[in-house]
Amino acid sequence: MSVGLVPLAVPQPEPISAVEAALFVFVLLTAVATAMLRDVLAVIVVFAAYSLGMAIFYAILLAPDVAMTEAAIGAGVTTILLLLTIAKTVRPNEDRILERVDGTGLVVVGAFAAVLIATVNEFPAVGDGESMAWFNPAVSQYYIESGYADTGVENAVTAVLAGYRGFDTFGEATVVFAAGVATLIVLKRTVFTRE
Amino acid sequence: MSESQEESPYVESQVIMTTVQLIAPFSMTYGLFLLFHGADTPGGSFQGGAIIGATVLMIAFAFGIEVTREWLRNRTVVALAAGGVAAFGMVGLVPVLVGGKFLEYKMYKEVFGIKAKWGLEAIEILGVAPIVAGVVCGLFFAIAAGYLSNGDTWDSRSPTDADTKSTPTTEVTDDD
Repeated sequence: MSVGLVPLAVPQPEPISAVEAALFVFVLLTAVATAMLRDVLAVIVVFAAYSLGMAIFYAILLAPDVAMTEAAIGAGVTTILLLLTIAKTVRPNEDRILERVDGTGLVVVGAFAAVLIATVNEFPAVGDGESMAWFNPAVSQYYIESGYADTGVENAVTAVLAGYRGFDTFGEATVVFAAGVATLIVLKRTVFTRE
Repeated sequence: MSESQEESPYVESQVIMTTVQLIAPFSMTYGLFLLFHGADTPGGSFQGGAIIGATVLMIAFAFGIEVTREWLRNRTVVALAAGGVAAFGMVGLVPVLVGGKFLEYKMYKEVFGIKAKWGLEAIEILGVAPIVAGVVCGLFFAIAAGYLSNGDTWDSRSPTDADTKSTPTTEVTDDD
């Protein structure tokens, strides 16, 4: 408030809805199933479902740009590339459905999860109008208030990615290009499709 | 390990072919919409490019990878990916040439009378989206084609690699 910028609106934290709770359980179950299932094909299908659940989650949390990326890349392209990969490998022919749990791995992952969960209380509640992410005159508020005047685009995400942080985006786009080149090098090929 | 592993993973399915035939025009339109309307509504070049690329992947999945590979020339994929990087760089460098900073869109307004917004649109439509669409398609067809084995040094070296790898694993189990 000291800078003179007034927050656009101060949303109040809302209690978690039934849809969100169901989605949370779905995402959690598919995540565990991804780690636990033995059949790789089943893992890929469940992982795609997990990505789709996360995409809906992002949409509910009002991040449609992230949701679309997760749906297109996470659930779509990644699944197709993984399916393509296992089509070239041999599937183990076993009766066991679940993976055997490795004790050491469980301890390490459990400790890591405990550290992450310990930080949850430090996050602002969803929709908290006083949180730094929402009320941040130097960054968020500036982008929200000046984005249209500075860049002329109405989507604040595009204004930040292509306008304010265009140089970063240039680097990211080049990384995607480099990934394509790296794949050709690893596969010892000179063409993607045909001459 | 059997002979069937060497064959193409493609299996013709009437259900998948019909579904893709129905969905592909819509997903392509949706991808183009996200791309061209990304400046004013959610979405943008990355999402649009990914969906356009995924549409090609979908068609390849339904109608056969080899058939689609014949249709999509390598020249097209490389032109999209490399041309995107070049276009992005050019849009960034033009302001530098006229005395501004890299990607300073205001210079377009001052020198050429073009709205600053069109600079952003240019890097979205001509830069990021072609790169993403091209690389997504390229990754798919390159991985589908697999490792190029033509009996060169790397191939002759790989069996010995497998032999040396098998020995340390037994030693590790001894330590445990």
